[in-house]
Amino acid sequence: MRIIEATRRSGIAITPDKTVRGAALVMEQAGVGALAIIDAERVVGIVTDRDLVRRAVSPGLPLDVRIDSVMTAPVVTVDADADLGEAVALFRSHKVRRLAVVRNEKFVGMITVDDLLIDVIALLPDLLRPVRSEIFKSSAPRSDTSNGLTPEIESPGYQIETAEQGEGP
Amino acid sequence: MQAAIGDRIVIKGHHIGEPDRDCEVLEVRGADGGPPYLVRWEQDGHEALFFPGSDAAVRPYGQTAT
Repeated sequence: MRIIEATRRSGIAITPDKTVRGAALVMEQAGVGALAIIDAERVVGIVTDRDLVRRAVSPGLPLDVRIDSVMTAPVVTVDADADLGEAVALFRSHKVRRLAVVRNEKFVGMITVDDLLIDVIALLPDLLRPVRSEIFKSSAPRSDTSNGLTPEIESPGYQIETAEQGEGP
Repeated sequence: MQAAIGDRIVIKGHHIGEPDRDCEVLEVRGADGGPPYLVRWEQDGHEALFFPGSDAAVRPYGQTAT
């Protein structure tokens, strides 16, 4: 899957001259927790609601300071057409929860760890299929052949659906 | 996505109970009606650049919410 296909939430961006108060109002109205800071179509920073608390409100900065004074820069970016695995690697190596998605170095959106979790959860049934098969195989009753007798086994009264390893969805 | 000036963009709420968001397209910065869009959020008039994801839909100018 390409990264742009896994990017579910719309990206919201503001310019570096926007104030901290203006950024907070855009976050509130747009219902997002992070904004890209864009200058001439290039992403130059990211600011999160947590950044506003830690770098502006908590230290007592006036709310009319420019947003580029509290943003995070440089920004970790990922190409929109790259494989999703690249985003996973970047999340892990940079210890961030959001990546700016770019195409031809221009900002096109934001992908979050939450977006990836949704895909992983959707894949869980397929990932669990071989594991489930192994669990039920190992717990199934075995014939007692030591005395040549086969013990009677009562039916559980329900059917267990199993699949062989490597079977497709 | 394609939009024109005056259209509204509706963003679906991401969590249960979260309301949909709504903004007006002021400028179309992309080619052929494509993104990004300069938008204004209705309640406070703040402007931002909008890069639509799958959570967004265009409501053409003059069309009321359903």
